[in-house]
Amino acid sequence: MSNNKCLELNICHLYPDLLNVYGDIGNILILKYRSEKRGIKVNIFNISIGDTFDWEKYDIVFFGGGQDYEQSIVSTDLNETKKFALNEYIQNSRVFLSICGGYQLLGKYYTTPGGEKLAGLDILDLYTEAGNTRFIGNTAIHNEDFDETYVGFENHSGRTYIGNLKPLGKVINGYGNNGEDGFEGCIYKNTYCTYFHGSLLSKNPELADRLIKTALERKQGDSVDLAPLDDTLEMKAKKYILENRK
Amino acid sequence: MIFKGGSNFPGRVALKLDKNILRTVAADYKIIVITGTNGKTTTTSMVYNMIKDSDRKVISNNTGANMLPGIIACFIEHFSFSKDTIEKYAVIEADEANLKLITQYITPEIITVTNLFRDQLDRYGEVYTTLKKILQGIETVPSTKLVLNGDESLLGDLGLSNKCIYYGFETSLDNNIKIDVNADAKFCKKCQSPYKYHYLTYNHLGNFYCENCGYKRPDLKYSVNEISELNPEGSLVEINSKQYYINIPGTYNIYNALCAVSIAKEIGIDNLVIFNSLKSQKSSFGRQEAIDIEGKNIKIILVKNPAGYDEALTTVSLDKRRINLALLLNDNYADGRDVSWIWDVKFEKLTQLDIEKILISGLRLYDMATRLKIAGLNEEKFLVTESYDELLNGIKETQSKTVYILATYTAMISLRKFLKTKGYIKELW
Repeated sequence: MSNNKCLELNICHLYPDLLNVYGDIGNILILKYRSEKRGIKVNIFNISIGDTFDWEKYDIVFFGGGQDYEQSIVSTDLNETKKFALNEYIQNSRVFLSICGGYQLLGKYYTTPGGEKLAGLDILDLYTEAGNTRFIGNTAIHNEDFDETYVGFENHSGRTYIGNLKPLGKVINGYGNNGEDGFEGCIYKNTYCTYFHGSLLSKNPELADRLIKTALERKQGDSVDLAPLDDTLEMKAKKYILENRK
Repeated sequence: MIFKGGSNFPGRVALKLDKNILRTVAADYKIIVITGTNGKTTTTSMVYNMIKDSDRKVISNNTGANMLPGIIACFIEHFSFSKDTIEKYAVIEADEANLKLITQYITPEIITVTNLFRDQLDRYGEVYTTLKKILQGIETVPSTKLVLNGDESLLGDLGLSNKCIYYGFETSLDNNIKIDVNADAKFCKKCQSPYKYHYLTYNHLGNFYCENCGYKRPDLKYSVNEISELNPEGSLVEINSKQYYINIPGTYNIYNALCAVSIAKEIGIDNLVIFNSLKSQKSSFGRQEAIDIEGKNIKIILVKNPAGYDEALTTVSLDKRRINLALLLNDNYADGRDVSWIWDVKFEKLTQLDIEKILISGLRLYDMATRLKIAGLNEEKFLVTESYDELLNGIKETQSKTVYILATYTAMISLRKFLKTKGYIKELW
């Protein structure tokens, strides 16, 4: 147990200026809040177009969703300047949270509604194909390994197929990755992918703490216990989705 | 409640009888259409008042029923079989996606686009999608004059054959040249490079230019050259070197007034009429509307999306007294089912204000309470309640006299219904 050392987390927000429309910045605010409540110092690094991604520097990386126009700008920059370092980061089991567009970009490819095949980063063995309809609505999933239930709001036309990767959860309500196989998101090493907006961590504080704890333990090389926080508001917000999901 | 406003029914019936009905009922009018993400209702009201004050005949769908059936209903309501010869105007607020449904049948004198921000992404989609829908609506009416916000980079150089007139700010509010990382359209629509700004007004609006390809703000025909006063009641500004007092507060209302002045000038309304009209402009439905509850001064502000909410908070921040806040968040269809957008609103700036109590309600009250907690607001000041009775008691029990209520659309409707049953307001609409 190593709790009272001077703890510090470096959180990297990838393309906050481009992938920013669905309130996903909330995840950064929540990670910072929950860390600081435990006396952990947090440094946020905004990394965008043309910036170098120095993978050894960061403990948590966040990669959100954006609009099509901005996402096309990101796609070019990723392949030109960050692909190799992101792969190193993920393969070295560092904590990575990827949502919606960010999730899709980590895979092999994305096929547009027009049939165009856009190359992804090819870090995770998954791919996405555009569908004719958008999957929009409140959603809930259950993760059996952690026995935790996560809720969020999905809004995507991409159908993602994760092959042999482990899903983030089994769909209780909603469409999930592709509306077919009953699973949502994926987990690879310490990379967590999902379509959940909401913001994701606003109603899933268990997951927020899992990311913080994992990141700290890797850094400290020792187990870490996070002091409990009062999550009454967060859990009531979660309960609303579970009871009123439509 | 699917559509805004209460007056869609006659329009729907008429549409069933004759799908070309709009062409018939709108035939005698000179039509001014106002669309865009934020400011439609207020701008429509301002233009309507200016035309009315100039002693011309004018109608408007000013209950905010801005979809095709509501617009048809507005014309039907004023329809007469006798042809009169006096000039008649119709000032029409149109939903962004409904513009093309309208211009199929009628050719407006003027179409104005106020701005484009991310807005209820589960309903509207992304800003480029909205822009595309608006442009589809304009393409069918090449003879219509466009009055556009020049500070909105998405609206420059549209490549249309329409005559385009631009308005904007020729002066800076605070010399801000650094765009917020979370603002909307930050990358050149022509070459994808980041825009630079001589100054920003709010969100991504401002005097923009692209260093890479040279795309820049178009020349402005109407502009704000000076802002002399910004207070919680209104603003004193100069537009094309003439002074106006805008009787509703906030930078976004200066934009609304500037747009209305531009339209009024284009149709030849006398400056004195415009001046007097703006001076006596009353707030529209849920836009800084003032109510008295047992000596407390209540202001209700409708909030729909991050850009509008941020502007509402900036305007509330002009009030330096000790205030109370009531924040109501619903997730019905008209509010947007997804409440993620509250995380894009800078509630953090409320930590600078002198706030006595924060009342939190609406269907998604716990999402709102969580957002405010993470923003660093003192939870001891929170009253989180689903009950409007408790909310009302909470308001009555505060010491300070001023209460700002910020509510999403259906939350505002249900709160107004509640206040009506309690006798605090007379009219629902």
